[in-house]
Amino acid sequence: MKRRLIVLVAATSFVVAVAYNAPSAQQRPSISGDRGSRMGDAQSQHAVLAKYCITCHNQRVKTGGLALDALDLADLRNHTEEWEKVVRKVRTGAMPPVGRPRPDKPVAESLVTWLETELDRVAAEHVNPGRASLQRLNRTEYTNAVRDLLAVEINAASVLPADVAGHGFDNNADALTLSAALTERYLGAAAKISQMALGRPRGLPTPETVVVPSDSDQGARVSDDLPFGSRGGVAFRYYFPADGEYLFEMKPRETGVSGGFEGVTAEPHQIDVSLDNVKVWSGTIGGPEFAGGRVPGGAGAYVTDDRDKKVIESLQFRAPIKAGLHLVQVYFAAKTSAYLEDLFDRSLLREPYRKPNGQPNLSTVTITGPQQETAAASESASRRRVLTCTPASASDEPICAKKIISTLARRAYRRPVNDEDLQVLMASYRDGSNRGGFESGLEMAIRSILVSPDFLFRLESEPAGVAPITAYRISDLDLASRLSFFLWSSIPDDELMKEAEKKTLQKPEVLQQQVRRMLADSRSQALVDNFAGQWLHIRNVAGHQPSPEVLFHYDDNLRRAFEQETKLFFESIIRENRNVLDLLDADYTFLNERLAKHYGIPGVFGERFRRVPLASNSPRRGLLGKGSILMSTSYPNRTSPVIRGKWILENVFGAPPPPPPPNVPDLKDERDPRKVLPMREQLAAHRANPVCAGCHAQMDQLGFSLENFDGIGEWRDVYVSGARVDASGELPDGTKFNGPAELRQVLMKHSDEFLTTMTEKLLIYALGRGLEASDAPAVRRIKRDAIRENLRFESLIQGVVTSPQFRMKMAHGDTN
Amino acid sequence: MVIAKIALPRRTFLRGVGATMALPLLDAMVPALRAATPAAHRFAPIYFGNGANMFEWTPATDGVGFELSPTLKPLEAFRDRTMVFTGLDNYPATDQGDVGGQHPRAAPAFMSCMHPKQTEGADVEAGTTIDQMIAEKICRDTKLSSLEVSVDRNDVVGACDHGYACAYMNSLSWKTPTTPLPMETNPRFVFERLFGVGATPEERLARVNEDRSILDGLTHQISKLNGRLGARDRTKLGEYLDAVRDLEQRIAKVESYNSDFSVPEQPVGVPPTFREYVELMFDLQVLAFQADITRVSTFMMCRENINRSYPEIGLPEAHHSMSHHGNNPEKMKNFAKLNTYHVETMTYFLKKLDSIQDGDGTLLDRTVVMYGGGMSDGNVHNNYSVPVVLLGGKDLHLKGNRHVKFPKGTPLANLMLGLMDRFGVNVEKFGDSTAEIDLLTI
Repeated sequence: MKRRLIVLVAATSFVVAVAYNAPSAQQRPSISGDRGSRMGDAQSQHAVLAKYCITCHNQRVKTGGLALDALDLADLRNHTEEWEKVVRKVRTGAMPPVGRPRPDKPVAESLVTWLETELDRVAAEHVNPGRASLQRLNRTEYTNAVRDLLAVEINAASVLPADVAGHGFDNNADALTLSAALTERYLGAAAKISQMALGRPRGLPTPETVVVPSDSDQGARVSDDLPFGSRGGVAFRYYFPADGEYLFEMKPRETGVSGGFEGVTAEPHQIDVSLDNVKVWSGTIGGPEFAGGRVPGGAGAYVTDDRDKKVIESLQFRAPIKAGLHLVQVYFAAKTSAYLEDLFDRSLLREPYRKPNGQPNLSTVTITGPQQETAAASESASRRRVLTCTPASASDEPICAKKIISTLARRAYRRPVNDEDLQVLMASYRDGSNRGGFESGLEMAIRSILVSPDFLFRLESEPAGVAPITAYRISDLDLASRLSFFLWSSIPDDELMKEAEKKTLQKPEVLQQQVRRMLADSRSQALVDNFAGQWLHIRNVAGHQPSPEVLFHYDDNLRRAFEQETKLFFESIIRENRNVLDLLDADYTFLNERLAKHYGIPGVFGERFRRVPLASNSPRRGLLGKGSILMSTSYPNRTSPVIRGKWILENVFGAPPPPPPPNVPDLKDERDPRKVLPMREQLAAHRANPVCAGCHAQMDQLGFSLENFDGIGEWRDVYVSGARVDASGELPDGTKFNGPAELRQVLMKHSDEFLTTMTEKLLIYALGRGLEASDAPAVRRIKRDAIRENLRFESLIQGVVTSPQFRMKMAHGDTN
Repeated sequence: MVIAKIALPRRTFLRGVGATMALPLLDAMVPALRAATPAAHRFAPIYFGNGANMFEWTPATDGVGFELSPTLKPLEAFRDRTMVFTGLDNYPATDQGDVGGQHPRAAPAFMSCMHPKQTEGADVEAGTTIDQMIAEKICRDTKLSSLEVSVDRNDVVGACDHGYACAYMNSLSWKTPTTPLPMETNPRFVFERLFGVGATPEERLARVNEDRSILDGLTHQISKLNGRLGARDRTKLGEYLDAVRDLEQRIAKVESYNSDFSVPEQPVGVPPTFREYVELMFDLQVLAFQADITRVSTFMMCRENINRSYPEIGLPEAHHSMSHHGNNPEKMKNFAKLNTYHVETMTYFLKKLDSIQDGDGTLLDRTVVMYGGGMSDGNVHNNYSVPVVLLGGKDLHLKGNRHVKFPKGTPLANLMLGLMDRFGVNVEKFGDSTAEIDLLTI
């Protein structure tokens, strides 16, 4: 307990700060701080409740388990959960239910506003930062921490299993459990990483294979990381663990039905490999000796000949490579025939799962190395990062080792190291150095660090003397960690650590400036990949498999473009500190040629993504025009207005519908248009059933307006059956709309709900836990503050970071 | 723009799940493995989610020499080692007043016969599953106490039901009522669990010694920390300490292991198609049994609510959406076709086990394979008369060539009791059991 001891500013001083921050007192004239007049308000609000709510929600009937007559409006403190529920239900118009007497809008509004204000006042008087569980680093955070700690880039999926999500995000403390199997992975990862850090990989090298999806179109240039005039292939960043000779093996794509490689003919095709834009190898596939094609054998099979073997053997080479991260580029030299092919409608030529173009294509690249006898540890980014001193003699070694290990441990543990830490780590060092010398010792110490609970868990200190179950301010060091894991999904950098160690991070202006700096840093890309990646389901795009029988315009190039577009779009909101409502209706998006063609937008050429303006009526404006979302809310073989509607309810309105009751028949698909009722009529049947109607009346109608987008987000005016698409919808409150542009207008009218949803999602992500009723006042405060800042992205982040939820913690009681 | 249906190649969609992959050649490997101790028995539950078309699953006749149903037809070659059960209810999986959660409850309730608690927090709770109870009994001396594998991604956003923690959907095995075991999806990680890391026995031993040293320091660190934490955080760190101790014990077992153990070549990634992926996972499980690394292996062949589609057999619609066929005859036929495909894929495991000599018989004789799911009619999320088949197990005196029908309302737990009895696990009551089904006299 002596480490990270902080002098606690009395919790009450923070209460004042919160109350000061809450602008409601000035904004809402009907409320006064005077208790007598509040009582009067309570009485008049009680009359509203009695008239519209208590008929069902009373102690006798207890509809929905709620008895409002038993609660005291003059003292909301002990029933905030129930009252937050009332706020939510009345605000969204879900209560009172349709068909019952409903208050006029101003009456309902006044009730909700009064309740919110009272609840916020209670929250300010009794600060409750909520419960916080111990968080383990998830796979992404672990990988990023390793990058920032050791300058080693690892492929996360090849060392650790994926994490399970809770409340929509995989950094949820409760879901991040630990098992023997995972611990074993951590041990293995630590061994591998420690060797990579010092550039001393041991044992036989494991081949690492990069796969080019078989449904990628390699008929043209496929990546902005590949040279102009190239065709197909792949570009990827690969971490070479040490200096040495590496074996590269390329495998061309096989044809689907008959086996053998595609496009190997008498015509030679040049294939090149470059590293960081410098050509290291050039080879040829095909040529005169391959004239005549393969020889068919009996029963449709092909006689195996040594052609394939010859091809494989001609596509490997060894090259000496310096340790570190390099861009590996493998590509074919484009021929004019590739362009000619574009003149035809490809969809008519195409085999459903492959994109043949009469030429050879790339299937895999395997890198093995360094070959043991050639491996050497020399200058590399990671060695520079680790070896902060060099022992002059053997007797210097322990001193130097201690310096190196303390430096690493401080960063890894996100706090100053103490003797106890060093005892464990130096024991590991000695163990290793006895076996294999100085660097082996360092390797063992790094392994120890990487499996230490101080690294793997986000341990937070509790100040001495704080009363149980009282809110206290977390230390500067813990705040630094919360910030860096929130904004970077990684450990704090030196600047942040320094502010924390100086204990200046809590100063409002320092905190604000640090948040600003961190958002501007490239590491805030983590918010795009992890926050938006999960909130907006961008991560699901990679695993989505549209049925090629029905959606034959789909290929891997499009899949990657979908991901890229939404990521760049969200990133622009961060980088340009835009109004977050632009997410719903921005007048621009990011396209490359492939995606622009898919969207039917002319004038975009090449693989590079660039900002493209969108007209006010463009169906592509905002998130709901993005292929990534339109596709991942569809079935593989058809669209689903229900899933799309549900997505909107969940992610825009923040009102996820409850799961459907059992025994609900599914819809028929469009594969036999003669038999099938139009989607709309089938769904009408759903809504005719009162059990379903409650949710489907909203869900389906919202989804209908996106029906012009097919299962991969391509525009259609008619269905496969020939029927015209009807994209009109109507909400229970009578709002009518038709097509995506009008849907957007509806969503913009509900921008307050969207803002609440986004704030809640950010808070869930920042805290690593689901929200509770006690968090609602914080959500409202963040929103209010952000509204004054014109809803700039940064204002939401600043709001989260200054919330009591983020900056405070409840002291654990004896039995918490 | 209607296109004719095109015959699809079997190997489709070569797509990296991670960035790295390649196909292994486990078949070509004939490792010199440690002979299992005499009469070691194995247990291999295989689970499929989303229920089945039970009209095509349930055999028309019962008793000895029954007529195999269309879905179970691929089991013909193993008929004399097949017992099909009808009428067993997985009542604990039903809602019992909870909202939603039909899918998340089905898998944990299947082998625990306990009603999973509705929660999205850390307080997940079901029951200890029979694979773990059997492992506790028969895997005391093996390197791994059990193996849990799956072929479904567990990180798809939004794939878990509201109100239910993802653990319910992802885990089939529960070590205790509050400890779901993660299922490993990466063949390479499964391989490393089984055989360790390193190309030679010396490398593997060096690695084990280093790990031991690291773990020593770690135990010390965690214990010290515990004193400084609140109860809730202590529990969490306790998980880590338990895991570390578990590994320490296993390392001790590795040492007593035969050191000239020829390790097969490791797989480097995830195969592209369902069939190849599943077969690779079966290969690894067979290796685990063959080398006696563990005697219990639990396999989630398709998880609940999974939306994998199978264009390679002409079924482009997603699995879950196919299961909600709405009693449309054509869609029901498609769903049965998928169920049949899964059974057929599973026979690969049976064939493989049967091809390996183990003692006087084959590995299949000493293995009880349980194939089934916690949901019967996927269309209505029904948990009554769930699909379950026992295969193999001749050496445990399991009968074959039988379709056994039980009166309405017989708990699945009764079968679980009978199964545990065969493995020497003696418990009086399990979940909602009312009596034990005696597999010897059935």
